[in-house]
Amino acid sequence: MFSSSQFEPNSAFSGGGFMSSQAYESSSSTAKNREFQGLVPVTVKQITECFQSGGEKSGLVINGISLTNVSLVGLVCDKDDSKVTEVRFTLDDGTGRIDCKRWVNETFDAREMESVRDGTYVRLNGHLKTFQGKTQLLVFSVRPIMDFNEVTFHYIECIHFYSQNSESKGQQAGDVTQSVNTTFQGGSNTNQAVPLNPVVSSQNDGNGRKNLDDMILDYLKQPACTARQQGIHIDEIAQQLKIPKNKLEGVIQSLEGDGLIYSTIDEYHFKHVEL
Amino acid sequence: MDTSSPSAFVNGALLRRYIGQKVRTVIQVIGSDTGSVVGKSTDDLQIVVRGPSTTPPLTTYLEVIGIAESDNSIRAETWTNFGNTFDPQNYNELCKLASGEFKHLFI
Repeated sequence: MFSSSQFEPNSAFSGGGFMSSQAYESSSSTAKNREFQGLVPVTVKQITECFQSGGEKSGLVINGISLTNVSLVGLVCDKDDSKVTEVRFTLDDGTGRIDCKRWVNETFDAREMESVRDGTYVRLNGHLKTFQGKTQLLVFSVRPIMDFNEVTFHYIECIHFYSQNSESKGQQAGDVTQSVNTTFQGGSNTNQAVPLNPVVSSQNDGNGRKNLDDMILDYLKQPACTARQQGIHIDEIAQQLKIPKNKLEGVIQSLEGDGLIYSTIDEYHFKHVEL
Repeated sequence: MDTSSPSAFVNGALLRRYIGQKVRTVIQVIGSDTGSVVGKSTDDLQIVVRGPSTTPPLTTYLEVIGIAESDNSIRAETWTNFGNTFDPQNYNELCKLASGEFKHLFI
């Protein structure tokens, strides 16, 4: 009486839909340099290293991200405010020293710079510029540090930012090893009395799908699964494919976003979209 | 721009690795004398800091930047009062990371 597919896959997701999980987005875009307009926490050593490797023309690039605005924490040295409109000083953050310049045009700026003395720890936000072979920081914000946990925090933030960006670059390599493992697991299931066809993903359809996607799709495409109107629960998929559920969740969201599977009676049951 | 005098982040245990080199660390002040301060490192080892003869008022935590003389003493070039509400555990973990996996970001 009822048609086998009671749901209109398109309308179920009209106007909403899921965004692919972020991990997928970033792994496909790591190949190219990303333009990052935010404020990057760095150490002076990182600035000098990237300058040396890039050369003047290329602009400053750290971890594949071209930098302009940076945040630093360090000690002020050699403050020189002999000129009325500009204050120069050196920032020593323990990993190196960098020349800084601050244009003082308003009384606000002048007041800000008064509180900065030699030997004070400050938080600087500024713009990296290369001039006549030297890298300089054009500072637009200076604040003396009151709570010194900020010093610890800054360096940890530099480490965090660095490792996040190295990680997303390495993720492609990481995913390859993951998919190799899951393929092996999928293959070993054939001996069990389970309706799972050997999922050895020799098909590489070339649109960048990783093996985990294929495994889920192949599983859901099987007649035993498509016949079930209420769809397959994610726990069952995890059990059958022997993959932890948390790994599946992101992949399933992205497959849903791409319109290849859809959720049925609730957000945990899925079926393959039959066209 | 000059990276010729970087200072390594150390705690008590890491200090011995940088003897003769410039280091920085934060100690919890236990006692002070003319010309020297005795403190506890972030990993609970005792460190003696020899510094300028006039010791200004010290807060609980003190950051010392100087040359490591032995595995438990530093000859300070600069020191900065780090206040009374500093978290030594965080700093300790930072020292481990900065001397280990992420050393190239610092030295």
